[in-house]
Amino acid sequence: MNLRHRITRIALIAALVLPAVPVAAESVLLTLTGAVTDGRVELTRADFEAMDWHEFATSTSVTDNRPEFRGVLMRDILTRAGAEGSHVRATALNDYVIDIPVADFHRFDVLAALYMDGVPLSPRDKGPVWIVYPRDDHGILADIRYDMRWVWQLVALHVQ
Amino acid sequence: MTGPREWIRYLGLGGLVLICLGLSGLAAWQLVQLERQMRIDATENMIWVFGQTQIEALNLALALSDEAAPQQVQTRFDVLLSRLTLLEGGPQRRFLEDAGISETLAGWRSGLLALDPAQGADPVALRAYVTALVAALRGKASLVMSHEWQIQAARLDRLGHLHRLALASILGAAVAGMGLATILIDRERRLMKGRLDRLRAEKLAGDLERERETSENHRRFADLIAHQLRTPLAVIDSAMHRLTRRGTDPVPPELISEKAAVSREAVARLVKLTDTALMMSRLERDAVLPHLSAHDLRDLVTSVIDDLVVTAQDRDPSRIRQQAQAAPMVALCDPALTGEILSNLLCNALLYSPPDSRVDVGVSQTRTHIVCRVKDRGRGMSPEEIARAFDRFRRGSGHETLPGSGLGLTLARHLARMQGGEVSLTPRAGGGLTAALYLPREASA
Repeated sequence: MNLRHRITRIALIAALVLPAVPVAAESVLLTLTGAVTDGRVELTRADFEAMDWHEFATSTSVTDNRPEFRGVLMRDILTRAGAEGSHVRATALNDYVIDIPVADFHRFDVLAALYMDGVPLSPRDKGPVWIVYPRDDHGILADIRYDMRWVWQLVALHVQ
Repeated sequence: MTGPREWIRYLGLGGLVLICLGLSGLAAWQLVQLERQMRIDATENMIWVFGQTQIEALNLALALSDEAAPQQVQTRFDVLLSRLTLLEGGPQRRFLEDAGISETLAGWRSGLLALDPAQGADPVALRAYVTALVAALRGKASLVMSHEWQIQAARLDRLGHLHRLALASILGAAVAGMGLATILIDRERRLMKGRLDRLRAEKLAGDLERERETSENHRRFADLIAHQLRTPLAVIDSAMHRLTRRGTDPVPPELISEKAAVSREAVARLVKLTDTALMMSRLERDAVLPHLSAHDLRDLVTSVIDDLVVTAQDRDPSRIRQQAQAAPMVALCDPALTGEILSNLLCNALLYSPPDSRVDVGVSQTRTHIVCRVKDRGRGMSPEEIARAFDRFRRGSGHETLPGSGLGLTLARHLARMQGGEVSLTPRAGGGLTAALYLPREASA
């Protein structure tokens, strides 16, 4: 597949997908439950916008090159939700479930990415939220045990 | 030392060291490679990825046939779309290309997008499309599985190959190391053998030298003894001759007793000579061991003088003056050996001094030793003579005709040293010689 073909394709997909994703400020992107403030915290896109944003480029195990990711830090989300626990059980739109130690978020700058290469992540790709580890900054992260924690289509975190 | 053989050995040694290090380095490099290839990549999880795509296609088909809520259909649609998007990502796409199934899966994603329910697409057409997709995926699942295991098996083959290479390198290094160790041990053994040979040769040379010296001493000793034997034997012979002279008158009793006395003295000298010779011989064999105990040296001196009065009458032992000394002078010594030394020093003093001169004997003490000094009024000795006085068979200059073995001082010093003491000679103030015997004090022993 040559480059030109790919670009045409991406443009086509973008034209089809983007109108289908309502960028509604009040729609809930991420729901936190368990050991958080009042047992349930819902974060809307507006909540995300109000937080500190970070970005970095990293290689991933499912893409070529090093995409640029933009979003908020996982530890900031947990702080904001008043989370108190050692693990979070992350659940994705596609029913993928995995436990992640909270220590990861303090040891590494783990991102809850909303943008890849400047394009908003959509549920039709890996959105709305993709947990991204700074894989290239720490050799230890280039490992299947960490790759499993890169949850895409993240919709819920249960803190325990 | 560095002949061609030696060079060849050095080259062999260097070669073995290089082989050993090289193979070790190779093994280390192979192990590092092995460690790197043992990582598992998420990309190698295509069975799961493909399976999930199938499940999502089935989920959407189910939602459509159940006529579920539009929101739910939309979610399943989005998720299936995301799965197909994932299959088009770089690593996944390459895997499917390698497995030869990318062609059959191409175009499904754009076809699905064209039937987006959010765009009001026909649900019936969508259902037919999804059903076809499920069938297409099902047909390829086993290919994905077999390709993935092919990859894994090939990777294990590579790991096994690396592992065997590393093992072979380590074994090679071990063999080279053993060769090295063998050469080094052999070299060490040769060195040790050379060192032993040299020591043995040195010992042999020493033994030979000592043997030569002993033999020379024996020759001189034999000469001396023969010479010393002549005089008393001649005295005895002359006495016998006089007594048995034929003719004239019967031999008067006075003459008999006079000649008997002369003969007995000659015999006593012979006995003394043989005693000294025996003692030297025993000393040479290290057969004399001192039995050390505490003795007052004044008493030993007194008893030696008493003996001399009997045995050395011809030299007039009454010339000896023993200085009075009130305090006890206790030395740690062997009384028999010490008596021998004192007797020798006193005899020398009597022998080498004029017949009418006095010989003084005094016992005193230093911090560590008891000292007995024998002072004569003879002609004394020069420093050079003193330096040689303790050599074997050395006779006082100008006294070669006096009786004596020439062993006396050698013997005296040897016996003194055996007891931790010493014998020394110094010129006496006012002429003559002072001979001193040092023996350890009892307390300092």
